[in-house]
Amino acid sequence: MTRTIAGDWYPGVIPDNVMLADGAFVETTSSFSRFRSRRPKALHLDKNSSAYAGCMFDLGPDATVEIGPWTLLNGVWVMADSQIHIGAYVLISWNVVVMDGHRAARDIAARRRQLESFALSRDSGIFSCDGAGQTPRPVTIEDNVWISFDCCILPGVHIGTGSVIGARSVVDMDIPPYCLAAGNPARVIRNLDAKDRAHG
Amino acid sequence: MTTIRPDAVWDGGELPPTVRVGVNTRINGSHAFRRIRAAAPDALVVGAHTTLDGVQFSIGTHARVTIGNYCCLTAVVIMSECLISIGDYVLIGFNVVVADSDFHPLDPAARIADAMACSPSGTKLPRPAVAAAPVVVEDDVWIGPGAVIFKGVHIGRGAWIAPGSMVTRDVPPGGCVGGNPARPMERPT
Repeated sequence: MTRTIAGDWYPGVIPDNVMLADGAFVETTSSFSRFRSRRPKALHLDKNSSAYAGCMFDLGPDATVEIGPWTLLNGVWVMADSQIHIGAYVLISWNVVVMDGHRAARDIAARRRQLESFALSRDSGIFSCDGAGQTPRPVTIEDNVWISFDCCILPGVHIGTGSVIGARSVVDMDIPPYCLAAGNPARVIRNLDAKDRAHG
Repeated sequence: MTTIRPDAVWDGGELPPTVRVGVNTRINGSHAFRRIRAAAPDALVVGAHTTLDGVQFSIGTHARVTIGNYCCLTAVVIMSECLISIGDYVLIGFNVVVADSDFHPLDPAARIADAMACSPSGTKLPRPAVAAAPVVVEDDVWIGPGAVIFKGVHIGRGAWIAPGSMVTRDVPPGGCVGGNPARPMERPT
């Protein structure tokens, strides 16, 4: 069955391999205009999670992305070629990029070949790694994390439960649970007090 | 953003008279040329086999932008008040901004005049001079998502700009920079 969204300005559909649990909300199908995953359950939006306009699920052919319950994505670019896991009660602000890899080859000659073959085919219209890019590394954002606007979460990063990432941070290494991290590159600024923790 | 149409140079219709494009170049996004104020027939020159997916140009009255062959730019904002020159085989990720100007004067009094000149119900006087310096991005450069390239910056051939970098200084050929402000760094694997 073809799934569309009532009142959607974008003439798209929700792909069949996008799983929407009860109460999960997607504002517009433009979020799937770069969706190319062929995995059976490529994107799972758990119950009462939400993906507002501006979100982009830029998933390559082998990507799987899980969004936990009650998690709110307000204009987030999720760029995946392996796995990205976002937990429950996570809040992610606008223009945040969560990426699990670099699609461009590191070697300049290989990158030129990628760009030449892309210009010739443009099958999906989207520059993708074609096996020539760098090996993706899964990203995990645990429960109760809050990421402020314009941040970049880079390949292989793991952000622990309850942590907060300040605006415009670039997170290139793991962030432990229950701390405040910010900066470019991001550093832990302080730990959050036990009384700030949801589960003590 | 939609997927690139293989049959049309620009999915927004006829190219504006200020834009020249080489063979097999594809441009996507109805907002692409909305803020081109230059009237010259070569205000924006794009080479062959290049993909501009959701790129927006702001080109001032006397400004120019050139982009080479086999480039791929996704959701990039290019704001030029003098000259932005991008080479061949350049890859630029989403949410990147390239600007060759400060947009507004640093001097507070001049900035008040600029605020009034910019207002739609303002004085209609010409805007005061704003600092601008050409930006050059040489061949084979990779610019990660969320980076900003500021005025006067020259990025050498094959350089690698980490995601989220604020690039305020020149980057040598083959160099790698990251951070805010961007500094030389070891290139991550």
